[in-house]
Amino acid sequence: MTASPVLALASVSRDLAGRRVVRDVDLVLARGEVLGLLGVNGAGKSTTLRMIAGVLAPSVGRVLVDGEDLAEAPGLARREIGYLPEVPPLHIELSVTEFLAFCARLHGLAGEAEAAVARAIDRCGLGDVRRRLIGALSKGFRQRVGLAQAILHEPSLIVLDEPASGLDPVQALNLRELVRSLGADHAVVLSTHVLPDVVACCDRVAILHEGALRYEGRLADPAGAGIFVRTSKSIDAGDWLELPIVADATPAAAGGTAWRLRLRDGATTSMLAAAIVERAFGLEELRAGNAALEETFMEIAAGSATAVAA
Amino acid sequence: MSASFLIARHEWRRLAAQPFAWLLAAIVVALMAWQFLLALEAFLELAPKLGSLKDAPGVTDIVAIPLLRSFSNLLMLLVPLITMRAIASERRAHSLVLLLAAGVGNVRVVLGKYFGALAFVMVLILLIAAMPLALAFGTSLDVGRLAAALIGLVMFAAALTAIGILCSAWTAQPALAAAAAFAITSLLAIVDAGARLKGVDSSGINYIALPTHIEPFFRGLVSSIDIVYFVIVAVVALAFAAKRLDRLRSEAD
Repeated sequence: MTASPVLALASVSRDLAGRRVVRDVDLVLARGEVLGLLGVNGAGKSTTLRMIAGVLAPSVGRVLVDGEDLAEAPGLARREIGYLPEVPPLHIELSVTEFLAFCARLHGLAGEAEAAVARAIDRCGLGDVRRRLIGALSKGFRQRVGLAQAILHEPSLIVLDEPASGLDPVQALNLRELVRSLGADHAVVLSTHVLPDVVACCDRVAILHEGALRYEGRLADPAGAGIFVRTSKSIDAGDWLELPIVADATPAAAGGTAWRLRLRDGATTSMLAAAIVERAFGLEELRAGNAALEETFMEIAAGSATAVAA
Repeated sequence: MSASFLIARHEWRRLAAQPFAWLLAAIVVALMAWQFLLALEAFLELAPKLGSLKDAPGVTDIVAIPLLRSFSNLLMLLVPLITMRAIASERRAHSLVLLLAAGVGNVRVVLGKYFGALAFVMVLILLIAAMPLALAFGTSLDVGRLAAALIGLVMFAAALTAIGILCSAWTAQPALAAAAAFAITSLLAIVDAGARLKGVDSSGINYIALPTHIEPFFRGLVSSIDIVYFVIVAVVALAFAAKRLDRLRSEAD
């Protein structure tokens, strides 16, 4: 984490129609990181993203972009944030190039608008349809135009709300690659229902439930994300804790055959597998690190998990 | 103001990209041209008789002013049709967020939408004004009176456009926005009809009515009170539209 993060949410809450839909969310994101924001419908993802994008002001708390309060410097949103909402905001009566040229100027690119449009068209694979009216494009292409408008001014922070919705599997795969490449030199917040997208694209994951941040951790860090293990033998917590590499063991199901383990610093998944085989626990399934995300998400979504915000 | 100018230019381009706007313009120009030619023919028939009268009405009184007055009535229907999509269609298409997320303030968005639509209305006014002005090549016009009528028409259109933008911000249904704008302007046009029937023409209710302020322009009188009236209507409508946009921020997606 760098000293000055691109995005920082400080105890952000938002009320809509007299109801608190987002409460006390704290998040920090640095350049070069992709954060996956997960949550069931109505969890407060879109409202959080709207606050991050500068569309909506928080009722309580502050959204800082490049260290400046978004509410006090609206010009920041114009220059430093690219936002693709759930429904791409498009003007269907214009051609792709006309629309993107307008977006470029809207984001303060005057002289370099043409070059920025050409770059975004190239990056999002819109070359063949650049002169076609947006209204005549398929859903996948419209989504790409929406993505192009979010990245064309090379913002520090890119906010994508369910960018893969409505895409076919090939388009979704291309999108993952694009998001991954954007993550190399931007800070990206990605909201999605699709867990494999998060695993494939994101460095970190945050899970929102009923407006509150219930989980936050690094995806690449198995100790942080937990490891799911299923064995043929019934094991108890004491057996697991006898292993020197296991820091914590919690049952994932009744019967003692499914566990979620947290490893000590420096321990790896392969060391755990070797230890299980050595003790003859009857290893049947081992989902390392990221695969355990689904379990965590399902538990939080079902409302059974306690707050585990890291 | 650069963001407003950018949005206004974009709004004009969006209007110009639709056949609907051009079709509307063509119908209006054809309708007014027909009326203009009929009035011109009537004037040519009357001209020999008028020559013998002292202070006889000229071509400006018989052809130009009635044409512009008739056009002002048509504007009450026309402007809502031009402004109805300005914000309502953006809400339907979920594209308003494009402007809101670009750090453009509510007032600037509203002003951009307003001036974009107003530019289109101004082109229509110019096209219609060109008809009586073309007579200057063959006869002498009362230029002062014609200029006053055109100033009045522009002020009137500016107020109607603001009402149209307000209605477009209020609903996501363009047709409903047009109907609401038409209803409001119609109400403003007839609000003092009852008072006038009773011979009252200088009370508060007369001040609210649109005809009280547009008619002096057609008579050649440019008075600041009438200009102020149209400016107030436009400013109030646009202020409410900006207020409405503030509320839409929390719904925009």
